[in-house]
Amino acid sequence: MWGSDLVAKRPEFFQVVKSPFDGTEVVCVKALVPDYAIIHVQEADIYGNCRILGPSYQDALMARAAKKTIVTTERIVGTYRMKEEPKLTAVPHFLVEAVVELPGGAKPGICYPEYQAVEWPKHKAYQKAVKEGQVPQYADSMLEGRL
Amino acid sequence: MYDKTMSLSQAADLIKDGMLLAIGGNGMHRTPSIFSLALTKKPVKELKVCGAAPGLASDILFASFQADTAYFGFFGLENEAGLAPGMRKSMEGDNPKAKAIEGS
Repeated sequence: MWGSDLVAKRPEFFQVVKSPFDGTEVVCVKALVPDYAIIHVQEADIYGNCRILGPSYQDALMARAAKKTIVTTERIVGTYRMKEEPKLTAVPHFLVEAVVELPGGAKPGICYPEYQAVEWPKHKAYQKAVKEGQVPQYADSMLEGRL
Repeated sequence: MYDKTMSLSQAADLIKDGMLLAIGGNGMHRTPSIFSLALTKKPVKELKVCGAAPGLASDILFASFQADTAYFGFFGLENEAGLAPGMRKSMEGDNPKAKAIEGS
């Protein structure tokens, strides 16, 4: 963080303190502790072991930072998938409180390799709904049969 | 290990007023948008959202005015999807309903 304006601009998050080990100055960052991480993955088993295909972004970190994680998944897979290649388990079951099988759970966005392009008509409908105060109606159209 | 499967509605019921949520994905990519839309059907309010690059799923909670604070580095949908319309609607103007804590 040295050299960043954030240290001065955000004292509620960044403070310079002396290291208890050698007295040098170090920047301390306040931790955010989310109540829940909410992530969408391609594969999870019924216990919450998750596999993320493609970029994982900060999802695995979020699951570890949060008190508990809620997972929506393109599909439920057998735990044998995790046992075959345990290193591919991005989020382990003990961090997870809920697993929801939800194909298309990232739409109208992208979930590689299941759907690789934005559904533009539905995204434009979202933008229009926000502008016109019609988000509840948009939600109804996207949630049909999913709750 | 035990079975943690439940319905979308049951999972959304876990979220309570004032909670801090870390919402995964990035921009329009692998973001749990349908979960956020399910949350808009619940009376939950005053949510806080955090993430390095919150995307569509976070934007929905600002569009519904259920989230009042975002901790982030970058908040947008990127590329052709453009700016985050819900975030802008709730944070811009003379009487913003939500606040942005950038660089947190």
